[in-house]
Amino acid sequence: MQSSSLGHFMRESGPWTYAIVNLAHVLGISTLFGSILVLDLRLVGLGRRVPLAFLSSAVVPVAATGFVIAATTGVGLLATKATEYVGNPFLLIKFPAIALGLINAAVVRRTSAWRAHTIRDLTTEEERQLAMLGGVSLLCWLTAITAGRMIAYW
Amino acid sequence: MKRLLFIAVAAAALVAPRIVSAHHGWGGYLDAEFEITGTVAAPVSLAGPHATMTIKGTDGHEWLLTLAPPPRTSAAGLKDGMLAVGTKITAHGHRHRDNNRYEVKTERITVDGKTYNVYPDRT
Repeated sequence: MQSSSLGHFMRESGPWTYAIVNLAHVLGISTLFGSILVLDLRLVGLGRRVPLAFLSSAVVPVAATGFVIAATTGVGLLATKATEYVGNPFLLIKFPAIALGLINAAVVRRTSAWRAHTIRDLTTEEERQLAMLGGVSLLCWLTAITAGRMIAYW
Repeated sequence: MKRLLFIAVAAAALVAPRIVSAHHGWGGYLDAEFEITGTVAAPVSLAGPHATMTIKGTDGHEWLLTLAPPPRTSAAGLKDGMLAVGTKITAHGHRHRDNNRYEVKTERITVDGKTYNVYPDRT
């Protein structure tokens, strides 16, 4: 990974490259987390007066865009000095947390509750199910961000 | 269901360790000033997050010199690939707290009477 052309680009294309890619990474994360936070809090039960379908149609594309930006720039940051991160325990927390967050998002989309939320009101049981998954989502992304930030301090 | 949110925040806080060995800050390095002389083993690399170079110290160990972030290192006159392997240099800074790590958070290096001060605001 480090000897890839991406790794070379990250190291040799000027002193500001890492800083700029790092900035984009932070913007991607804040876009993802800022938007998914609003949706997850709604699923958990905050701000119920806002119809879920309105919120999800606005939030999901923004969150997905944020994820793509964060993930692509993240590969670049890692490739810069990949070998230096071998054995960093926070990576072993961060990547599984991201994987769980993505799996959780896929699970949400497959629930009958999520499929139904744009067409009808949800039952209490369905709301409870989505609330739980929303909580798991928050846990995953908070863990990923926390572990990600700690990578630099190991 | 608000309990879930509380659990999420609490778990994230637990994941963050109380004490971290700061790599990028100065906290992971000894307070005492440190100086090492040697010959360049790997020239200046301006790869992020911190520019680096390595020297073969007169003590026989290979020392990693962690410099300032790339733009600051570059502004101090140290460009990517600078200093030929074998050049004699002296590095001044602070040694890593871990005695088994031969790493110096470097404030300045001196090459043939010329000083490159990547942290001029630190003495």
